[in-house]
Amino acid sequence: MQVQQRPQGSYYADRIARVIFLLCAILLVMVIVSIFVFVGTNAFKLFAEGGNLRDFFFNTNWDPTGSGGAINPSYGAGGLILGSVVITLLSVLIATPLAFGMALFFNEVSPVWFSRLLKPLIEIFTGVPSVVIGFFGLIVIVPLLQNLVGNIVGNHQTAGYGWGAATLVLVIMILPTITSISIDALNTVPGSVREASLALGSTPWQMMTRTILPAATTGLATAVVLGMARAIGETLAVSMVLNGHTIPSFNQSPFNIFFQPNVNITQFIAIDFGEAYGAGRDAYFTLAFVLLAISFLFVCISRYLGSRSVYK
Amino acid sequence: MSVQGLQEAGMEHDVHLQEMKRVVRRIEIANGFGTALLWTIAAIVTILFVGIIVYLILKGAVYLFNPGFYGTESYGVGSEIFNTFYILIFAEAISLPIALAAAIYLIEYAKQGVLVSIIHFAAETLATVPSIVLGLFGILIFSITFHMGTSRIAGALTLLCLNLPLALRLFEDALASVPVEIREGGLALGSTKWRTIRTLVIPSALPGIVTAVILTAGKIMGEAAALLFTMGLTNPANVFTPDPYIASDTLTTHLYYIAGPGAGASGLTHSQETIVTAGSAALLMLLLLIINIAARTLGRFIQKRVTAA
Repeated sequence: MQVQQRPQGSYYADRIARVIFLLCAILLVMVIVSIFVFVGTNAFKLFAEGGNLRDFFFNTNWDPTGSGGAINPSYGAGGLILGSVVITLLSVLIATPLAFGMALFFNEVSPVWFSRLLKPLIEIFTGVPSVVIGFFGLIVIVPLLQNLVGNIVGNHQTAGYGWGAATLVLVIMILPTITSISIDALNTVPGSVREASLALGSTPWQMMTRTILPAATTGLATAVVLGMARAIGETLAVSMVLNGHTIPSFNQSPFNIFFQPNVNITQFIAIDFGEAYGAGRDAYFTLAFVLLAISFLFVCISRYLGSRSVYK
Repeated sequence: MSVQGLQEAGMEHDVHLQEMKRVVRRIEIANGFGTALLWTIAAIVTILFVGIIVYLILKGAVYLFNPGFYGTESYGVGSEIFNTFYILIFAEAISLPIALAAAIYLIEYAKQGVLVSIIHFAAETLATVPSIVLGLFGILIFSITFHMGTSRIAGALTLLCLNLPLALRLFEDALASVPVEIREGGLALGSTKWRTIRTLVIPSALPGIVTAVILTAGKIMGEAAALLFTMGLTNPANVFTPDPYIASDTLTTHLYYIAGPGAGASGLTHSQETIVTAGSAALLMLLLLIINIAARTLGRFIQKRVTAA
């Protein structure tokens, strides 16, 4: 009796498919490596063309084209970096307690009908285009702040734009992100931990604050870190409500600084990169590289936290 | 024990009981307060989210009934709608096969090891790269190095980089949800691995795959920062061509330009600007809602068809 051989063709198809799939997976690695290489090489060109590392981080005079070639260009990105850091930290500070509260509510308190409403709502809101949130900021948040603080700040035309509005816009954007990752983090805590806590006589509130939250610490920290990563790179929504071209003078009350047009890294890339050329153009790649480095740092932190978590 | 001693012990017991009751009351008040706090946060956030969605849709809804809004006049966004769907299909057509192939490799072929960790780390890093940085990368590599200029194809390739990590993760989840017995059944019948994947695994993973396609479509449709410089903010005279080498704007980049840097400088009157911005925002929100509902119902529908054999 003759044994039916498996046709050679299907064997080769299997080999070829495997190689193609591998190449596609490796393409992903190549993309991220080439982002670092291409943006990085252009970024460091700036320091060969007259830029200076100390000025870049600590000087606040950002004028990479030298006012259209009239004066020597200046690459002080201190003000832009400060703007990004301030609005990112503030928005995370406001959004985090709300997001943790939402996650606790969703996992521990919420009745079923409310969870069924909340889950799609959070998912839908995560996907709202950033331009649309920016537009909402422009037509609702900025006028609102203008009415609230316009009289204190003075300068009614432009009051309301700035760090304050940008922070609120970012809160709206990162709240669903942090919430949904926090919900996943709380979900990883096994039910036996809850039962143990309740069996010892805890009230639900004690169970949540003293058992669930500490047990999910690393996952919650990951949520905050990823929220920060989203906040620091957010461009158009923030750019629309910052609406500034220079960092405001610091010889005024800190309150006023928050409610007048201001700048950050992403806003300057969005509005000025198109007209930049030569060394000025490379200066924007240096800004982009700063963002890239910060978000890479955030990924590393979140991975480190993930590797340390007890419950997966 | 004397009578007096017993009385003293009783009083001590009473004091103890009083203290216990106070502690319990305090704990219960804290519990009630905490629960109320969580309800308040949930109510505020829910009202905020629903309020924003409803506000944006209502604000622009009136313009959506005006046929001129979909035309090519100065305040119409017909060209932008065409461009949005053009770039959506273009970007999905190149990114989905690559992401699916990579997901198949990672789930079906690869052994757990250094390579898989590197690819996952790369995907995670790529997912957090700010989209404006991806836009600048797109200029460097597609527009300049590959001489594509400011064009639809440069925009689509930039969106490929943006879309890959999300699509990969969703496809991986879809494939991982297929039970291992299905694969074993295929292999035991003598199929090669590739045949098993093609005829058994992918059909079983179809609900997840469809959901992934729809969700990535939502992400591409809402993206703007990565397209700002790679695809431009202006349209040529006729956008209704399949030509991939022309610059064009989308609903999102157009909305950004008219509401942001182009406000008062785009040649539109203030009321025309409102039509474009509020109308586009409402249209984008509606598309987002449709996409989400479709992702839910279509996935469930296919699941029923596949499993109810």
